[in-house]
Amino acid sequence: MSITKESRFGFGGGIRVDALFRVLFGSAVVVAGILLAGVVLSMVVSSLPVWNIQTPLSFVFGDRWAGEVTQPDGSVVGNYGALPVIWGTVVSALIAIMIAAPVGILAAVYLVEFAPRRLAAPLTFFVELMAAIPSVVIGLWAAGDLSARLRDSVEWWASSTLGRIFPWLAEDPEAPAAQSVFRAGMVLAIMIIPMVVAISREVIRSVPQSLREGFIGMGATRWETIRHVVLPAARIGLTGAVLLALGRAVGETIAVTMVIGNAEGIPSSLFLPGQTIASKIASNYGEASSPTETGALAALGICLFAVTFMLSLAIRLLVRRAARGAGQAS
Amino acid sequence: MSVLRFTATDLIKAPSGREAQRRRADRIMRGIMLATAAIAVVPLIGLITYILINGLPFLTSQLIVNSPLDKEPGISNAIIGSLQLTIASIIVAAPIGIAGGVYLNEFASPRVSSAGELLIDVMLGTPSIIAGLFAFLVVVPALGFSGYAAIVALSVLMIPVVMRTTQEVIRLVPAGVREASLALGIPVWKTTIFVTCRTAASGLLTGVVLAISRGLGETAPLLLTAKGTNDTEILNFGSTMNAMPIVIYRYSSSPDSLQIGQAWATALVLLVIALLLNVLVRFRTVNSRVA
Repeated sequence: MSITKESRFGFGGGIRVDALFRVLFGSAVVVAGILLAGVVLSMVVSSLPVWNIQTPLSFVFGDRWAGEVTQPDGSVVGNYGALPVIWGTVVSALIAIMIAAPVGILAAVYLVEFAPRRLAAPLTFFVELMAAIPSVVIGLWAAGDLSARLRDSVEWWASSTLGRIFPWLAEDPEAPAAQSVFRAGMVLAIMIIPMVVAISREVIRSVPQSLREGFIGMGATRWETIRHVVLPAARIGLTGAVLLALGRAVGETIAVTMVIGNAEGIPSSLFLPGQTIASKIASNYGEASSPTETGALAALGICLFAVTFMLSLAIRLLVRRAARGAGQAS
Repeated sequence: MSVLRFTATDLIKAPSGREAQRRRADRIMRGIMLATAAIAVVPLIGLITYILINGLPFLTSQLIVNSPLDKEPGISNAIIGSLQLTIASIIVAAPIGIAGGVYLNEFASPRVSSAGELLIDVMLGTPSIIAGLFAFLVVVPALGFSGYAAIVALSVLMIPVVMRTTQEVIRLVPAGVREASLALGIPVWKTTIFVTCRTAASGLLTGVVLAISRGLGETAPLLLTAKGTNDTEILNFGSTMNAMPIVIYRYSSSPDSLQIGQAWATALVLLVIALLLNVLVRFRTVNSRVA
């Protein structure tokens, strides 16, 4: 390389170009930050018209989505109640997580600790393949096939036995609902199990082999080792996996919209149709005619974002705590 | 990883009482865990079979070649629309995601880097309907339901995917590679692009493919933005556009049995694309780890 070439492309010019380069690449992070800020701001600003005619408290705890109501004296009062959709979101996500957490974690334990390599590789592959399927495809299958199967098996059984005691499990055996909150929860469970399995698998694999060997060497069975050594050691990571999956379940839209029935109000039973925050936004945006209705949907968006944001923060704190714990142990 | 094939209790012959009970518990739990692994796989098998059975009869050249306005309607405009929207979004998202990921790993101070990671976490955790709502509230009032709005919504979802993957693969590039390049007097920007990114190229591509696969399957954000149409729009992002997920969603509740069948067939097409992309990613990741 000649001297002249070096002076042109070497240190002198290079440093200035480098600085420019850093600014350019750094601006990409800034753009991402602006987008996220834009997401939040757009919802906050759009929701303002609602707060003129209604208080946040009456929004969150209102049990009816009736829109604007003109009072006898001519003033307009907002009557947007988000309680039914919040209820639907919480209940369907809880059903999903109550099924997906034990199933996903135990399946991951099996894949790591028990399954012979021949079986573990294809099983892992298929479980993780499920995560790649678009949610609208899962929704189509759930609405066309799974929903009726669940209605005729689990729902029928639960409503004809437990339903006699608990009214929230009751269902009319002559005319079962075409869609229900319970079925939405089951579909969500199916959608988040792969996520729980994938993360739990990584977490369980990272538990040091020597811990297991020490316990087994003292005469414990494999299940006892898992119960008393592996699962406690993996506790923080597994919690993170469940929280991540919960975030996915809370925000899932299209598959839920296709099976939950989109009915107003809080249903008296899990086997009746309901609504979630996400399905409400997806099915109502088109009819939103007044600025207050758009604002109310934006306010729902804020609620949903607040939940997922808090889950992200919680996971981050967990990971940090786990890292600190590992640092102290070593 | 190695798994212990037998334990001390396996060696004790003819256990009795408490010992037998412990071994029974072990066997039962093992069965339960096998069952949970099976439960995790069964839905996939059910889904694929059902979509194959219902979709295959409608998967004809009519579906793929004709537009919904033709005498024998198809969904060609949705296929074209999906391709255009996904490609346009990845053209926006890939440079931002890769540059941001590289910056956070190579140049950012620990504080900025940690803030950046939180940003990625929050964006990854943001539900797709929120991204759609954002475009609906910001872009739709200005440009109407349009491809542009859809590109904004999809980019918000794709950028964190690319950024996170970029960050993870750039971290794997050994420091020695960079140092060797810098020691030769090669400027930082050249080292970053031609050495660091070049070394991680296959991983960067993985991130892009993951983002494409996410973009292709999203439905809710498209409903709020591109809306869907029967017209065929080519590079006309200012108007409403059609996409395969929109077709599946809209046709699935149609009274017309042909449209329902076409929803299944479209789902089959989308499913095959999603699975192919997934296998591609897996294959590439395995390769790059070996290399």
